[in-house]
Parts: sequence; C-alpha cells; structure tokens
Amino acid sequence: MIRGNDPVDAPGLVEHYFRHEYGRQVALLARKAGVRHLAIVEEAVQAAMLAALTAWAARGLPEDPSAWLYRAAWRNLLGELRRGARRRRILEQTAPELVREGDDPPVPSFAADVPDDMLRMLFVCCDEAIPGESRLVLALKTLCGFSAAEIALRLFTTEANVRKRLTRARHKLRESALAFETPPLASLATRLASVHTVLYLLFNEGYLAAHAELAIRRDLCDEAIRLTTILAEHVIGAVPDTFALLALMHLQAARLPARQDATGALLLLEEQDRSRWDDDHLREGAVWLARSAQGDTFSRYHAEAGIAAEHAFAPSFAETRWDRIDELYAMLERIDPSPQHTLNRAVAVAERSGPQAGLALLHELRPPAWLTESYQWHAVLADLHRRAGDVILARDHRDRALACAPTTFVRELLRRRLSLR
Amino acid sequence: MGNRRYLCLQRSQPGPGRPKPSPAQMQEMYATFNAWKEKFKDQILDLGGPLKPGGKVVSAAGAVDGPFVEVKEIVGGYMMIAAESYEQAIEIARECPGVVSPGSSVEIREIMET
Repeated sequence: MIRGNDPVDAPGLVEHYFRHEYGRQVALLARKAGVRHLAIVEEAVQAAMLAALTAWAARGLPEDPSAWLYRAAWRNLLGELRRGARRRRILEQTAPELVREGDDPPVPSFAADVPDDMLRMLFVCCDEAIPGESRLVLALKTLCGFSAAEIALRLFTTEANVRKRLTRARHKLRESALAFETPPLASLATRLASVHTVLYLLFNEGYLAAHAELAIRRDLCDEAIRLTTILAEHVIGAVPDTFALLALMHLQAARLPARQDATGALLLLEEQDRSRWDDDHLREGAVWLARSAQGDTFSRYHAEAGIAAEHAFAPSFAETRWDRIDELYAMLERIDPSPQHTLNRAVAVAERSGPQAGLALLHELRPPAWLTESYQWHAVLADLHRRAGDVILARDHRDRALACAPTTFVRELLRRRLSLR
Repeated sequence: MGNRRYLCLQRSQPGPGRPKPSPAQMQEMYATFNAWKEKFKDQILDLGGPLKPGGKVVSAAGAVDGPFVEVKEIVGGYMMIAAESYEQAIEIARECPGVVSPGSSVEIREIMET
C-alpha cells in the first residue's frame, strides 16, 4: 500500500520519526536479545533504517512502518548473532528468545509493549555501576537516537569524549550481572532516584546551556519531557516525585521561548515578554504540580517545581512573590544542601529585603572553588554590590564574572546587566 | 520528458565505509530523496536499487567470480532514467541525494535505441 507523498517533509512520517523509532526498536530488541548484545542491537536497527530509506523511497511507505523496521532489524540481529555463534547450541545460550521465535517473529504490539520496554531500557541505562555522566550519554544514544556527534553538540563536549563515555557505559553493562538476562521492570524499581537524576540532567542540559541555537536546546528539553511523561504514566514511576519533576520541566520549558531575543541574545527574567511564555506547557505544568501534591515526601523536585511555578504564574517581575521563593529555596537547601541554592536564595532575598540582606546571606557562606570560579557567583555579587552602592567591589566582581563567562551570549548578558551607571 | 534512455551505475570506493548517518540525518535523507523523486518523476523510469556485492563474470572460458579486484571502484547500485541529452541526465543524477557524494561517482551510459 502506498500513501500520498508530500515532497517537502518526510512523507507520511511524523517529526523525529526515525530518531524516536530508533529508541523504540532498540528497547524492544534489547529485551529480546539481552542487554549485553546492545551494540549489535543498535547496529541491526541502524542497518534496518538504512534499508528502509531505499525501499520506502522506491516503493512508498509500507502500511505499518514500525513493523517493517522491526522485522528487518530482527533479521539483521539474528544473522549477526548466528555469524558470531556459529553453532546453534551457542546461539541458544546467548539469545534463547531470538532462536525460539526464529526467522519470522511475531511483531510486538507497539502501543502495549513499547512504554514498558523504553522504561526498562531507561532503568538499565541508570545502572549504579555506570558513572553518572555516562548514564546520560547512554540514554541519549539508545533511547533518543542521537549519534555521538549530535550528543557532543548538545552537551558542549567533543565527539571523542562522548564515545569514551559510551564505551565505558557499555563495558559496565556487559560486566553487570543484569546483562545476562532481561530484568523484569519491577526489579529495577530501586533505581527510580537515579532515573530521576538522569532525566533532570537531560532537561537542564537543554534548559541551562547557553547554546546559540534554541532549536538544539529545545530537543533535549523535549526528550526529557517525553521520557518523564512515559515514566509518570507507568505504574513503576507514578509517584509524586516524578510528577513534581515533570511539572518542573513543563514550567521551565514554558519560559524557554522568551529567554532569547530575535538576535539570540539572552534575556533576563525581568526583561522577558511574558506573553511569549508557552500556555500549553504552563497548563501541563500546573496539572502535574497539582498531582505532585500528595504523599509524605517533599522532594527537591517539589521545591524546584514550586519555585518555577512562582515565576511562571507571577503576573509581572515586580509582583513576584519573593517571600515564597525564599521559603522554597530554604526548603531546597535543607533537602539538598548546596551553596548553589544559597546563591539563588540570596537573589530572592535581595529582591524581597534589599541587596544588603542578600549580601549578608552570602557572607555566611564558605563557597567552594567550583562556585567562586563560576560566572554566576561573581555576577550575583557584582549585582548586589552595585545595588548596595559599592562601586569598587561591583567592578571587581563584574570583571571576574566576564572572565568566567562560558559563551559570548552569557558575556553580553552580563555586560548589559552589570554595566556600572 | 526526453526520449533517450540512460543507465546510471553508481560506483563507490571500497574500503572503510563512510560514517553511518544518524536517525535524524536519515529522516532528512528520506525527505530529500522523496523531494528529488517528485521533481524528476517523469524522468525516472526505474529507480533500480542497490546491487549485492560480488557477482559473476561469464565468458567463453566459463564463469569466474567478479568483479575484478584490480578495479578500484565497485558498482553499488543502478537506475534507469529518461532525458533529452547527456547534460540533462547528468543534472538528474547530480541532484539525486546520496548518489554523488565523497568517494562515489555515477557512470551514465546512453542506451542505444534499435
């Protein structure tokens, strides 16, 4: 059956079809073959997609493209494992399910099986044996279908570094006992906190990175929201922490389009045009925030979602409820003590009670080197000293903030914000 | 639509393959290919397809494995197009995404009408 062709877009296929389908197919086949065959599974899916390009372009889309890809990837996978195993007995040991279903496997129900398999893969990526930064890269590669080069571009690192992290992650996966079987999703439930951390990092990489291209940063935020939504709607992840995390993501994503002006320059919260905030994300954020208000734990995601909500629903910068934000930062500091939170809180305190109060809070802090070497630390101090009328200290911190600025966009923002009048 | 027929043979350098495209790039390639196909649909007589590696060469002495190893490039795919002239045939082939890329070339031969 041939569908109508739209010559401009990828005809008949939704946006990101190949990338998202890659994640789905890898997750399904990794369950069938076992996680230790992950590299071969990924190659089998990649090859099936290349074959699809030629076949679909010549003959039109098949009626069920996902099933087509699944069968093609399956055959590639079985062929590759056969080449590797040589004897049937070895093949049976290495991938019993594959051998049982043979050359013409039943195609799984994508609607029913996929969320389960995607989540299982996500939980597998969050193996505690894998270093934190490698977990993120592994999830981006296997579940989001980004290549090493595309990940490098999005994480502001080199392709070689991404490959190194991937290799380390795959190595750990093979070592891990789990790799020899396909663990039931329920047995992985203890990793939920680690899964939350990876999703949170994924979102922040998109949200905070001062990348020149909004579209590129948006990708990571969208992927984080997509995976967190699957988690929140599944029995294994449907807990208040997950809902709070998803609320946080929607509320921050709502403000993303207004963070840059037409030239790509970053805008301060008080300069943003609030009418450009995304209503759909605000609504979703409000719904998930309400759902998160249950149970007996108040997580860091609850605190952060609460802060994001105060900003997102304030009618104007001047009308922001800084007392609430101060309170929420104080709770966040207790849940997850970090001088970064204190720094953020100082900004809220200064808005509420004046620059001296903010400075007093920072005076009590013994900041670690990573903080005093960051542009945020110096930018906040420069701003507070400027507002308190101390021109000399303000200038000193401004110069150090400019020197630490990671990108020209951030440097421009600082120059504008910290100009001494 | 031209009235002459041309056979296009895609040749590529053997050896380590080019970096494989990512799923996002594949989506783009698929879209570009379809746009190209739409533009030249009257000229493309047969989209052909990829050829399996290896093959046989038959002569009076019998069949031998081919293609010959001393040939630096291997024929990887073919298609048939219709055009008015070599110039137009070249233009169609050149615009075909994925046909003329680094390390690959297309041999275009007009088919003699009898």
